[in-house]
Amino acid sequence: MKMNSKKLLPIIIGAVVLLVLPFLAQMITGNDYWVLILCTMLIYVIAVSGLDILFGYSGQISLGHASFYVIAAYTTGLLNNYFNIPLIITIPCGAIFAAILGAALAYPASRLKFHFLSLATVAFGEITYYFLYTSPGGFTNDYKGINIRTISFLGGSYTRWYFWLLLWAIVFVVAKIFIVNSRTGRAFIAIRENTHAADGMGVNVQKYKILAFAISAFYVGFAGTMYAHLYKYISPETARQKQSVLFLTMMLFGGSGSIVGSMIGVVIIEILLELIRPLQEYQMLLYGILLLIVIIALPGGIVGGVRDVMADRAKRKLQKEEEGGAQNG
Amino acid sequence: MAENISKAEMNAELETDKAIAAEAAAQAAGGHNVDDEKKHPVVLETHGVTIQFGGLTAVDHASIKVRKGRITALIGPNGAGKTTLFNAVSGVYIPTSGEVLLNGEHLEGKRGFQINEAGISRTYQVINLFRSMTVLENVMVGMHTRLKSNFFSDLFNTKKRREEDAEAREKAHEWLKFVGLDEFANAPAGSLSYGKQRLLEIVRGLASDPQVILLDEPAAGMNSTEKLELDALLKQILNMGYTILIVEHDMKLIMNISDYIYVLYHGALLAEGTPEEIQANPDVIAAYLGGEDDVI
Repeated sequence: MKMNSKKLLPIIIGAVVLLVLPFLAQMITGNDYWVLILCTMLIYVIAVSGLDILFGYSGQISLGHASFYVIAAYTTGLLNNYFNIPLIITIPCGAIFAAILGAALAYPASRLKFHFLSLATVAFGEITYYFLYTSPGGFTNDYKGINIRTISFLGGSYTRWYFWLLLWAIVFVVAKIFIVNSRTGRAFIAIRENTHAADGMGVNVQKYKILAFAISAFYVGFAGTMYAHLYKYISPETARQKQSVLFLTMMLFGGSGSIVGSMIGVVIIEILLELIRPLQEYQMLLYGILLLIVIIALPGGIVGGVRDVMADRAKRKLQKEEEGGAQNG
Repeated sequence: MAENISKAEMNAELETDKAIAAEAAAQAAGGHNVDDEKKHPVVLETHGVTIQFGGLTAVDHASIKVRKGRITALIGPNGAGKTTLFNAVSGVYIPTSGEVLLNGEHLEGKRGFQINEAGISRTYQVINLFRSMTVLENVMVGMHTRLKSNFFSDLFNTKKRREEDAEAREKAHEWLKFVGLDEFANAPAGSLSYGKQRLLEIVRGLASDPQVILLDEPAAGMNSTEKLELDALLKQILNMGYTILIVEHDMKLIMNISDYIYVLYHGALLAEGTPEEIQANPDVIAAYLGGEDDVI
């Protein structure tokens, strides 16, 4: 891939903005609350990008993805709390455990049709919640949740956390770009577009559905471990439907099956949530309204909408040129 | 063990078939037919394939042979079981009984993707493209089983993967040029006209370099010009060394291009032979003109 200067310029501008953003936020607001919000956005970018690999690319729905988020968070937290295993080991353990669970869930679930799959994932979310809420022997500290250590070299500095998470968000987004533009990604999209024909063209549908689930759970799981260590606390509450619906709303609002869609969705919804923070009890109402808007008026999300407008404009331009050509001729 | 026995039986049967054919050839004082069989050995065959849905027998003991480098056709009135037999060969249905062999390898009971990997590709009666993928990507999905990159080489975007991808892209462009679709390479497949979508399905099927390609009513919905082009295209595909098994309603096309024809009627084989033989066969004429099912 060759980069020309036209493509390079927005990348440089983007990089500069991302680098100064936390300092800017601090300067304007005078505290680092918004730096923490930026950190949360980066975590959500990883999670929603992962959900998008599953839904946007391989065409499978999950309404229980917060489970993977929370399970990975508990895994890293508990391993570190109980056995003093260093975080550099427990964090990947959390994400890998989420991926394995994702694959295990997908193995039977991959045979289910769309709406039944959504029910199965809702059930999975509920099971996770109630398991953590009343665990055998109370090893998860039940409804009280657990306190978790932060990553020591990041200390309490949200600005350091910001750059650490920015690095990981870039790694995960680049990995997503590689995956969806490869043989694996084509197999995912083929399954989404026409499962029957994908099978006929030699794509092992079940294997790729399981793979999509595992990858997506890994993304969300990693995001969950970061969330846990950033906020130093996790409780079963996060495994509830609300969190899964938040991921889904962000993905659909930004535009599914798109690299930038996931990011746009996260940024806009997170800002909206902050703006209505005083009316916190209306959060679910907001998700509901946004989902309705997307489903009815903007099926492709913001990215899809922009794409449609651009395609329309290009078409009109072409028509005009053709008409002009016809008149000249 | 059981497989060995059935294979041995098969070979014995094959031998007798050959002997009978050789005799017939000798009687015809040609010797030409024997040569022809050597040049065009059987690639794909079904032996007594039966497919039942509940109490309904859709295909009843159908045995057909597809010879290498030939166009073999499957015709019959609507509901005769042609597509059902196709689906049994390509792994959509598992035959209730009987065998499907590709170069002697048993395929019955295998799943669709395994059969594609083994070397049988297909097109569909109802167009089954990946509509929002580009025309080029559709062909590249067709190459799926022939590409070696795996999840980890994809994830790390290794040099080997990139090289393979570039090569595949090049090849896909060549396939598109072959059917005159290269100018639409980056358009979504769903935006193509009906006839062009049919062509795309054919090259998507060919992209896996199959031993046999199954074409399920490729001329359906085409206008007469497109049908003429299809006629020429199928002959070109044959010249490239591919083997075709085709189901088609357009008798003019079938009689023009086929080397050998099987006629299915109510799930069972009614007749087989060259186009001339089929056209002269009174049973076939009766089946078609009986007015029960279809009018040609």
